[in-house]
Amino acid sequence: MATLRLWRSFARLKAIQPYTYRTSFGCCRSMSDVTAADFDLSTDEDSGIAILRMQKKPVNSLSLKTITAMNISLEKLEQDDRINGLIITSVIPKIFSGGLELTELYQPQKETLRELWRVFHEFWLKLYSSRLVTVAAINGHAIAGGCVIALCCDYRIMASSPYKIGLNETQVGLQAPVCILDSMVNVVGHKTGERALKLGELFLPAEALKIGLVDEVVADDAVLESARREVKKWLQVPGHARQLTKEALRKPTIDRMIARTDESIDLMYNMLSDDVTQKVLGNYLASLKKKEK
Amino acid sequence: MALGSLSLALRQLQLSSRSFCPRASLVYRSHAELIRRYATESANLDLAVDSASGIAVLQLKRKPVNGLNLEFLTELNLTLEKLEKDRQVKGLIFTSAQPKIFSAGLDISEMYNPKPERMREFWRALQNFWMRLYISPLVTAAAINGHSPAGGCLIALSCDYRVMASGSYAIGLNETLLGIVAPFWFMDTIRNVVGQRESEKALQLGRLYSAEEALKVGLIDELVPEKSVLDHAKQELLKWTQVPSHARQLTKLALRKPTVDKLLAKQQEDTEFFAEFIVKDSIQKGLGKYLEALKQKK
Repeated sequence: MATLRLWRSFARLKAIQPYTYRTSFGCCRSMSDVTAADFDLSTDEDSGIAILRMQKKPVNSLSLKTITAMNISLEKLEQDDRINGLIITSVIPKIFSGGLELTELYQPQKETLRELWRVFHEFWLKLYSSRLVTVAAINGHAIAGGCVIALCCDYRIMASSPYKIGLNETQVGLQAPVCILDSMVNVVGHKTGERALKLGELFLPAEALKIGLVDEVVADDAVLESARREVKKWLQVPGHARQLTKEALRKPTIDRMIARTDESIDLMYNMLSDDVTQKVLGNYLASLKKKEK
Repeated sequence: MALGSLSLALRQLQLSSRSFCPRASLVYRSHAELIRRYATESANLDLAVDSASGIAVLQLKRKPVNGLNLEFLTELNLTLEKLEKDRQVKGLIFTSAQPKIFSAGLDISEMYNPKPERMREFWRALQNFWMRLYISPLVTAAAINGHSPAGGCLIALSCDYRVMASGSYAIGLNETLLGIVAPFWFMDTIRNVVGQRESEKALQLGRLYSAEEALKVGLIDELVPEKSVLDHAKQELLKWTQVPSHARQLTKLALRKPTVDKLLAKQQEDTEFFAEFIVKDSIQKGLGKYLEALKQKK
């Protein structure tokens, strides 16, 4: 617990706050429309539930700007005593999130590459260790980074349409950071997690349910309502007891990540600076463009 | 592996298990008195050893709900120690003589308006009981013939095997529902049985599983009609005792000792944490409310 408190104050010192933006907390000047449009955050003080709706066309990709903005929002929610639950979902049809912005990983700007991984680790930590009850309302494809968002939550509900969810980093020529490997194993178990990660498997809803990657599969138009119902159920449990329990259960994974953050950032930086990785990424991007045509 | 080194390993196991006994001090003197007072009384439990199979059946019978208080835990510790020293005994089954209840867990009266010294003794007795049971050289099984929340669930989870009666009994670690937090070693125990994912849901929601649900997630190993629970437990233990004991015991120890060591390393700290936590106003209030609600039910 002390470790987490220390980390939080450290994170506050180090957090980038280049952009301020309009949210329902009633904030200040809007310096960048791009960031303000990436997601919508609404809070309902009666129920204590916040909903984060990703809305960044075309695939809710997680860029340095987007992740930074999300980190700020998560921190604000954490500090807001009236909010105890968070649902993460998407308003873009068929897409939950396609993961990290590939154009920032392919032929990257060296200066921002390290920063990108730093804020990504920060995002994982904030979401994974959040005192809020977190539920992912997965109403579209949740690939790589998108799957990470879902894995960090307390509970995952997926739409029954043939959307795919999984960590396909190896298919793209990357290794996911260790904290994400841990998240996957923590959810689906070691045997299944190893296989899924090594093969970069993407799962349809029924399969995801079977292996425990998601907890529920419901009709597309029932996803958000089911998420609300689930958050309310979790909020019935005495808050402090639930929060302390969550903290204790997730502590080993969090400690491991905090101890290795710099190492992990270096690893991702070096991996992406490698010619072979860049080539595979380049081919992958080219194939995506071909698919569009 | 040479027999010599096997025996040495087992001797080390026996030696380390002695460290679980209360240390000599003021505390020990009162424990000695407790030992003399309760060793022969057995108001709280019945013990039957079948010398043919080497299987002991320990029936919990502390009215009304097999609640674990300081005296009961001390007696359980001593009984376990006695059984482990008895070369004839190879396996142990926990079951209940109280209808519809396996064990309701920790006696709330030990935690509501507690006295500082007794509260610490109580917690130490619970820690020692869990540590001893969790790595016991005996093959252990829980024949769950009643409701098994919180501490009752812990006893079951600490065994090698769990058979539960089909029907309306529930089992789980429901501490959060009472506004308290299960100790980390409770969490470790359930995690080792059902995995991280299920544990997160189980513990945060304070979930009490039906027998069917418990089987589905692996919280229990077998689901049978109530009248067959004890027999199935015995059948299973007979299988386990076929395995060469030295090998099985060392394997169990290797697999489970890291979990126990985690508590051993900070036993004092854990006791102090409990002592500080349980006397908090919000916690006491929650416990008080729960006791009130129980009284109302009656």
